[in-house]
Amino acid sequence: MNRLLILAFIALICSCSNPGPGYEFMPNMYRSPSLETYGQNNFFSDSLNARKPVEGTIARNYLSTFSYDASLQGYLDAGKNAVNPLENNEANLEEGKKLYSMFCKHCHGEFGAGGGSINHPIYSAVPHYNAGKLLRRANVPMNQLKSGHIFHAITYGLNAMGPHSSQLSEDERWKIVLYVQELQNYNAE
Amino acid sequence: MMRSIYSYLILTLAILFTSFNVAFSQEAVDSLAVQQGKEIFKTNCVSCHSIGKNALIGPGLEGVANKRKKEWLKKWINSSSDFIASGDPDAIAIYEEWNKVAMTSFYFEDEDFEALYAYLKNPPIQEDIVSADLTLAEDQGVRTSTKLMFIALFLLMLVYLLTSLKNKLKESLGQETETIPDTLLSQFNLFVSENRNVVFASFACLIVVLKFSFDTMIGVGVYSQYQPEQPIAFSHKVHAGENGVDCNYCHSSARKSKHSGIPSANVCMNCHTYINEGKITGTTEIAKIYDAVGFDPNTRSYIEGYEQKPIKWVRIHNLPDLSYFNHSQHVVAGKIECQTCHGPIEEMDVVYQHAELTMGWCVDCHRTTEVAMEGNEYYTELHDQLKEKYKGEKITVDKIGGIECAKCHY
Repeated sequence: MNRLLILAFIALICSCSNPGPGYEFMPNMYRSPSLETYGQNNFFSDSLNARKPVEGTIARNYLSTFSYDASLQGYLDAGKNAVNPLENNEANLEEGKKLYSMFCKHCHGEFGAGGGSINHPIYSAVPHYNAGKLLRRANVPMNQLKSGHIFHAITYGLNAMGPHSSQLSEDERWKIVLYVQELQNYNAE
Repeated sequence: MMRSIYSYLILTLAILFTSFNVAFSQEAVDSLAVQQGKEIFKTNCVSCHSIGKNALIGPGLEGVANKRKKEWLKKWINSSSDFIASGDPDAIAIYEEWNKVAMTSFYFEDEDFEALYAYLKNPPIQEDIVSADLTLAEDQGVRTSTKLMFIALFLLMLVYLLTSLKNKLKESLGQETETIPDTLLSQFNLFVSENRNVVFASFACLIVVLKFSFDTMIGVGVYSQYQPEQPIAFSHKVHAGENGVDCNYCHSSARKSKHSGIPSANVCMNCHTYINEGKITGTTEIAKIYDAVGFDPNTRSYIEGYEQKPIKWVRIHNLPDLSYFNHSQHVVAGKIECQTCHGPIEEMDVVYQHAELTMGWCVDCHRTTEVAMEGNEYYTELHDQLKEKYKGEKITVDKIGGIECAKCHY
């Protein structure tokens, strides 16, 4: 019995685990004095290490060719005039499909017919891409929306959908547009 | 005489029955229409309208069937833009109030419109609110420590059982019984008096000391299982698991840069502009995002001139500064799943560090993981040479320099 007692004691002691981040050996090799992207400092008033670039800065390869603003008029104009700069080929479509499954599928469903995995009433009624009856904002049904409309919607958002320009480069957005236009003619049955 | 009374009775019963039946079926038809209307509402309207007071993209529709005439509603729903153009003052007023966005036209068949109208007239008494499930899931996998805890408890229970058994036996023999503390004390004295047991005790102490020193030494620089509390109780289980949002949706820079990227609050707001209530924590945690960005969920607009505050997430995975790691290299070229290093993230309510992130752990993986050569035209020439050189062998990451010192330490 006494051995049982001791074993119990040992097991109890050994079960205490350390919830903290652990010890560091030579922390000055762990944490360099240079600022890391997501750290904070006492230097700037907002304490953020990540600084915003000067207003008007354009990152390399990010020069926009899409000059329409977020208004309804911008949406209609984009639909009328904007052209997809990418070629509609298999590689681009494949990329578009991949991006679609990362950024769109959970609301719009695998084939753009709704029924995504998001479990919330507001996102349960997304319109089908191949719907041909109801007139949308651009006065045409879903399956006739032009690439410019779709690009505008991804960039600035539309109705309950938020803007996705911070997550996707323009190139990536045009690739998704290619794939979405494929789905406009797709019939799930 | 008897017979006529009898027939009267039957007749009354029949009348009663039919009237009841008619009333009943009328009610059934009504509720069927309401039910149908609910379905129509769910598939066409809910992404912009709620049936309650809340305004979403468009106004909340509580009491709209009493406020507007049926014909008015029909015209509006069929084509709001035509209706506005026809000069109806109410229609124009709504158009102006809602930022001049015309509602999508819905051409419903008469029957469907009747059903929808029936639903608007008889809205559900209480809106189906996503039930706030306050119990945080506890199934984060049984850790070793928990297992040891159970063993300890089991042993203590055994002590208790054996003591009571002994007492029972003594009782039946008419001897004096002992309480558990008495037993423990007497056993402890007995234990000390016996030499054999002292050896055993010192052995046990040694184990404890060894265990602690070993843990301390091996734990230097290892954060694994580290599970800090975050400023917002964001649940990966709810987002990535139950709602199936792809990792790349929020961590969109994992494909492009060294960092997987902590999503900025505007990514949260893509959905949480409209989703104000969470499944586990209700409105409290989502309100913290609003507080950070300056968003008023009641008016659904951003507060002007608001000084936005950064959300100070606690870093979990921390490689020492002396080693280099790049997410895009692993995610895009290596085609490694996030879960390979981060574990079952989609099942974690609170994220903990799954991998050890030690050098041995990196090297092990580089020695066993095959190079993903399919569809990587950039390195075709190199890949052909490698296939030639390592005929029949697996080409793992270490064969293309994956364990060279300077790959990660420079």
